[in-house]
Amino acid sequence: MAENAKKPSEGLEPSEGLTPPERRTPLALRQSVEGAPGTLRLAETPFAGKFILRLDPARGGEAFREAAGLDLPAAPLMSVVNGERVVFWLGPDEFLLLVPEAEAAAFAEGVEKGLAGEHHQLVDVSDYYTAIEISGRKAREALMKLTTLDLHPRGFPVGCVAGSNFARAQGWLWLEHGEEETARFRLYVRWSMADYLWCVLADAGREWGVPEQIPAADETFLTESVHSKKA
Amino acid sequence: MFVISCPYCGARDQSEFSYGGEAHIARPEWREDMSDAEWADFVFMRSNPKGVLAERWVHSAGCRRFFNMLRNTATDEILAVYKIGETAPQVQAKLPATPCGEAPIGSGNDAVKVMQPGEAE
Repeated sequence: MAENAKKPSEGLEPSEGLTPPERRTPLALRQSVEGAPGTLRLAETPFAGKFILRLDPARGGEAFREAAGLDLPAAPLMSVVNGERVVFWLGPDEFLLLVPEAEAAAFAEGVEKGLAGEHHQLVDVSDYYTAIEISGRKAREALMKLTTLDLHPRGFPVGCVAGSNFARAQGWLWLEHGEEETARFRLYVRWSMADYLWCVLADAGREWGVPEQIPAADETFLTESVHSKKA
Repeated sequence: MFVISCPYCGARDQSEFSYGGEAHIARPEWREDMSDAEWADFVFMRSNPKGVLAERWVHSAGCRRFFNMLRNTATDEILAVYKIGETAPQVQAKLPATPCGEAPIGSGNDAVKVMQPGEAE
């Protein structure tokens, strides 16, 4: 995907005009990996503007819609999408706002201005989290190995977003598309957990041919095969 | 594994939750003449029943909200879940019959048993 072009490759100095090294994503050194065609594909979705909004939707929802151009989710555990702007429900008065990085600053300013009269808090968390995109018809099955969430389409429909533990790391899982072949999840995790979860997800996909991923810090949490290779 | 129904997110696995101690314990208002005993009562003393206990839980991996829960400490049955600020609903809990005829409250060891007011000898 295109985002790989943005990432500086290992051992190469990023040339001028490319992403400066201080803006490197947590998975900058990972290339997207794929199992057998159509089964499971892992990729990073780096550099989105992310904001945590604390706001009582009953009081400030209207003002937010006028300022941001999209509604707050009406139901718990749901998301609202308008073009490239997305709002996640995280709690009864807590939301995650996703916007393209280029318009993040202007967006935040607009929301702050629109909510000026309301009791609220808007915090830029763009660099706290990254998103791992898990797609393919086995995406659901791979994620089931990591979490206790009920991922059956009945319990986790398209647009659903739920916070849970994924292989013991806290994260938010969002189902963007639900169809068998085009199923696409995004897992929003803390920067420091991203590489660990990437390797666990690749491990979960080994049965469909996803290549093994060795953790950057060389931890030894992976399956037998890693240890036997080292020995 | 228990399944706990978060009042905001619905049924989730126990591993997503953290325990917050007994519920409905109000911090006493500060007074000049407050005794150590009064303060210790607030800090340390808990009802610790064998039966229905109102306790706080937090959905730490999900919506990160605190809520209250009525749990039967003898059977771990979850009797009710309600939001912070609400009063506890009235529930009926079936306490298990103990094979040795132990008291419903206390350790069951009569030698160290503390008699509750109104409890027959």
